[in-house]
Amino acid sequence: MSTSPLPYTDTKPQGSADFYYATNATFRFLLARLGEDGWRRYLRDLGRDYFAPVNRAWRAGGLPAVASYWRAFFAAEPGGEVEVRELPERVEINVRVCPAIRHLRAGNREIVREYCRHCHILGEARAAEAGLQMRLSGGDGACVHTYATPAAALPPQDPAAIREVAS
Amino acid sequence: MIGCHDFCGHYEWTFAWLERAGGHALVRDYWDAAINHDSQRHARELIEREGFAGMEKYWGHTLLEESPDLGFNITSAPGVFRIDMHDCPSKGFLRRNGLEQYCDYCDHCMGWTGPMMREAGFVIDHEHNHRGQCWWEMRRAAEKGGHAAPGSVSGAKDVRLRADWGPPGAVLDRYVKETDPDRKSPPAS
Repeated sequence: MSTSPLPYTDTKPQGSADFYYATNATFRFLLARLGEDGWRRYLRDLGRDYFAPVNRAWRAGGLPAVASYWRAFFAAEPGGEVEVRELPERVEINVRVCPAIRHLRAGNREIVREYCRHCHILGEARAAEAGLQMRLSGGDGACVHTYATPAAALPPQDPAAIREVAS
Repeated sequence: MIGCHDFCGHYEWTFAWLERAGGHALVRDYWDAAINHDSQRHARELIEREGFAGMEKYWGHTLLEESPDLGFNITSAPGVFRIDMHDCPSKGFLRRNGLEQYCDYCDHCMGWTGPMMREAGFVIDHEHNHRGQCWWEMRRAAEKGGHAAPGSVSGAKDVRLRADWGPPGAVLDRYVKETDPDRKSPPAS
């Protein structure tokens, strides 16, 4: 049985960065065919369903489980620079270099301007399943994700705190 | 954040979500518009420009990156480009992690490479056994031939020579000079 905090693991230590092209293209497709509501619904469903094993682990293990998950997650993603800090009532993930934005830019891909908002929509859905809150600030290549217990009483997400991507 | 280390997992999950949202037509549209024409446009441009040489460059790079332990073999022969996949990194990831939301994950390969090959002037002969093993032969659309005899193009690396290629209960999906993911041929007798 795997001891990794990641629910789905590969035989390779890191994924292939070209798959970020497909994620960006998937967002563009969903926004074009189903509109923003459809894209949001996709991300919320993905967060509740595909990530259900992680959400259960977070609910059972609390913030230490959140921190260990994100450390393992970014270790398996190529090209990022990320620090995960465990603080009282919250975990902060300081993404100094987003591996996805970095690779999309290096490949001269047109990035959907909403790209960074996916981290909040997805993260908020997953956090809610685990009894936590999620907030995001920054974007366009560098950002801070915060996962917190209700005791942290985080202010509501400010939509303006999430930057659009400038391709 | 949606990662790339488990890409095949949420990619496969997405097929099932799209089918619920818009039926099979939306899944086909996704493979063509999002994967062929957007995500993999570097492959399409390379193969349209360079033909067989472009296929060798594209799959030589991408399969090596996804399957560094060489679970595949590439053969370039006059008039045909062939891939024998002995241990698909993508299907293997799903099988190892017990992920299966969509009816046939393997269809996505024909779903995006089929239209790409059609646009570049090629057709595909292909079989997959739903167990992480498959083979592909690409030829120019006007070229004769197809479904070459086992071993005749890739020698001992032909995946059909494996003892576990067609075990009892395995279902082979088969395409003959095709580019449409929905036009599977009846199984070979």
